[in-house]
Amino acid sequence: MATATADLDLYAHLMRRAGFGARLDELEVLASRPYVDVVEDLLHPERFPDVDIDMIERFYSTGNAGYGPIWWSRMFNSRRQLEEKMTLFWHHIFATGQSKSAHNPSAQAQINMFRQLGMTDLRTLLVELSKDPAMIFWLDNNENLKDEPNENYGRELLELFSMGVGNYTEEDVKAAAYAFTGWTLETPIPGAGSKYGGYHSKFVYVEEEHDHSDKEFLGETGDWDGYDIVDIIVKQPATARFIARHMYNYFVADEPPVSGWNEIPPKDSEAINALMEAYLGSDGDIRSMLRVLFNSEFFKEARYMRVKTPTELVTAVVKLTGEHQEIEIGMSRVTGASGSMGQSLMNPLTVEGWPFGAGWIDGGTLNERVNFAVDELNDSDKPAVRFIIDRLKEIGHPSSPAEFVGECVQMVRPAPLSKESILGLLNYAEQGQDLDLSDDSKREINEFRVLRMLQLIVATREYQLN
Amino acid sequence: MRPYGLLRAGFPYLKTIGEFMRMHFPTDVAPARDGRLYVIGKGSMYTKGKSGPILVTNIEDDNLGSFGWKSYEESVADACFMWPMAIQLDVEQRELYISDSATHRISGFTTDGEYLGRWGEHGSGEGQLDRPSGLAIDGEDLLYVVDSMNHRVQKYTKDGRYISHFGEFGDGPGQFNAPWGITIDEEGTIYVADWRNDRIQLFSPDGEFIRMFGTSGHEDGELYRPSGVAVDMHGDIYVCDWGNNRVQLFAPDGHFVQKFVGDATMSRANLERMFTRTAKLRRMRETAAYEPEKYFARPRSVRVDEHGHMYVPDYEHYRIQIYKKEAYVMDEAGMTPPFRVPTLNYM
Repeated sequence: MATATADLDLYAHLMRRAGFGARLDELEVLASRPYVDVVEDLLHPERFPDVDIDMIERFYSTGNAGYGPIWWSRMFNSRRQLEEKMTLFWHHIFATGQSKSAHNPSAQAQINMFRQLGMTDLRTLLVELSKDPAMIFWLDNNENLKDEPNENYGRELLELFSMGVGNYTEEDVKAAAYAFTGWTLETPIPGAGSKYGGYHSKFVYVEEEHDHSDKEFLGETGDWDGYDIVDIIVKQPATARFIARHMYNYFVADEPPVSGWNEIPPKDSEAINALMEAYLGSDGDIRSMLRVLFNSEFFKEARYMRVKTPTELVTAVVKLTGEHQEIEIGMSRVTGASGSMGQSLMNPLTVEGWPFGAGWIDGGTLNERVNFAVDELNDSDKPAVRFIIDRLKEIGHPSSPAEFVGECVQMVRPAPLSKESILGLLNYAEQGQDLDLSDDSKREINEFRVLRMLQLIVATREYQLN
Repeated sequence: MRPYGLLRAGFPYLKTIGEFMRMHFPTDVAPARDGRLYVIGKGSMYTKGKSGPILVTNIEDDNLGSFGWKSYEESVADACFMWPMAIQLDVEQRELYISDSATHRISGFTTDGEYLGRWGEHGSGEGQLDRPSGLAIDGEDLLYVVDSMNHRVQKYTKDGRYISHFGEFGDGPGQFNAPWGITIDEEGTIYVADWRNDRIQLFSPDGEFIRMFGTSGHEDGELYRPSGVAVDMHGDIYVCDWGNNRVQLFAPDGHFVQKFVGDATMSRANLERMFTRTAKLRRMRETAAYEPEKYFARPRSVRVDEHGHMYVPDYEHYRIQIYKKEAYVMDEAGMTPPFRVPTLNYM
């Protein structure tokens, strides 16, 4: 299929950010359609069938004790790629650890809620978050009683979930806490399996524990409850700005840590303004913001300006190998790898979530990242590796060392390679004759050379960028 | 021999066994004539001094040991299991066979826990397996293996010599889509839970299609991803309706009789835990609403014994729920011939 490389690069960029990456053949299909149409498809996951959840649960399910394989399988295979990317987006912002409660059903229900509501309006999301048993317990709102208020949730709602420091006062925190008194959870039946937990909890409102006094919150006074607090929060320009910066940080380019946002201006104020306008003009509709973002020039130009998160690295590598498209063992290796790289899903270190950007990488985690990528690309019979080899074979003539490098780089699509990296790859390509995959007598050695070249590419510094 | 008629008096819930860490993701159970129950699970079954995926217990919930090993590694050693799916006693009830969907293997043990060996390799050729699941044994001690992702049933000797197979991918009569459970009645008829086609298919001993019943849905008599099937001494057919979290009972002619959705009470092990663990646990339990506790959660198989017991491995709740059939066999003197048409007149 003759699609301009520049077009493929753009679609590849879109799929790395709005999804978890795409193979060359998938990109060629996407690039045959107008870019805006592909964006609309991403924004409307309901246009595509869901994953084969019955089959996934038949083989992977360990019930309420384990959700990892099911979530990872969705990220690898869902045709609703942006739906999964947004599930992860909200998990980053509303970071909730299941380690505190060890109550897996609630943690899983929260992730499912993010999947279901990830592209709706912020008000709906914040209301559901405030009623989410995992969040209520994580931030102690079950201990938020009218005579004994607990400010944890009220504070984090403002600081980490919607507005950011510097945009509210301590009095606002107290008012929010009082408004959420009585918003608690139903004690679940203690699990059949001890710490694994077996039964769901649910939100309950306890009228006797709710404070009905008048509260002044962000300049408005009344007998506010949690719904009112969310209503007031979502109409604040600071909220629009906070969500816009998160979206920019997640989809466009790495920003400084959230804690510095009050002092450090955004990298691209115009981009943030465009996203804020989309938010304020749509009553906080997340899908509207995403539409503006993905169709913007600032997005299209922001290639490789983010460090892959561990989840993005793992999914990119697995997609490159083509493993786990079908039911297969080894999923624990994948989930374990992400944890070793510093991101154990559903178990953030703190309520502030994970670091972004260069914060993901230190000597230890870089080792893990490179080793994982290289180890996974260890077999030329893995489905997507086989696809790469077959595509290279279609070239039908020997490739010079430079062509060999270029053709493999085109398949992996790391960030533009430095001179040093290119020289390293060329050095390997030059060890031997020109690559000729059409020569069956040298099939084994030539396929090995391709595999080795792919390993060298994923081991480059440039592959760490998204 | 099938009864002329059956007076159904009821099918009450009897008890729950397992729970807590005693039973971990049970996928299947093999009831032996001596009263022992051999339970296979996806997790480890914790018993005194040993934990393995095969638990030996009985209806009293006694802890009679465990054997085998749980494997979390991709290279699975002998006597180890990753995704065990079914457990089957042989005719003499001296040996047990276990299928593992992860390794595409069948492993054998004596009922005393001695490892006999394993066979099976991944593939789609004759005798090869792709995600084996349900197991059944016929009167000649031959083992039937549901070869799920090859969409067929294969017959072997117990030591793994391939004999024959039937079925192929599709939704027509005799075709399968990712079948799971299987059983063979005393007349040699083979029943297969055709998982993705939401139906039960019946075959002759030589694999000829006889008939099928079940349609997709959630109403009485309808099925959603059936995972297990059993037949009792009266010819009644039990279907583990995995996707609907229930077991359904069908008469021999395939008409719906009743459904079971779970009635669990605390097992002995769970009760012991409640008395020996913290006061907080007891308070939590006292505070909770119990309703959800009784229901099945993704049951994976159903088995029956000659005493009328029905065993349901209640996978996600780490237990087996047991029911006891109350029915009386009728001869021709006790029941009119079958109706050709329904009637409202009982006088």
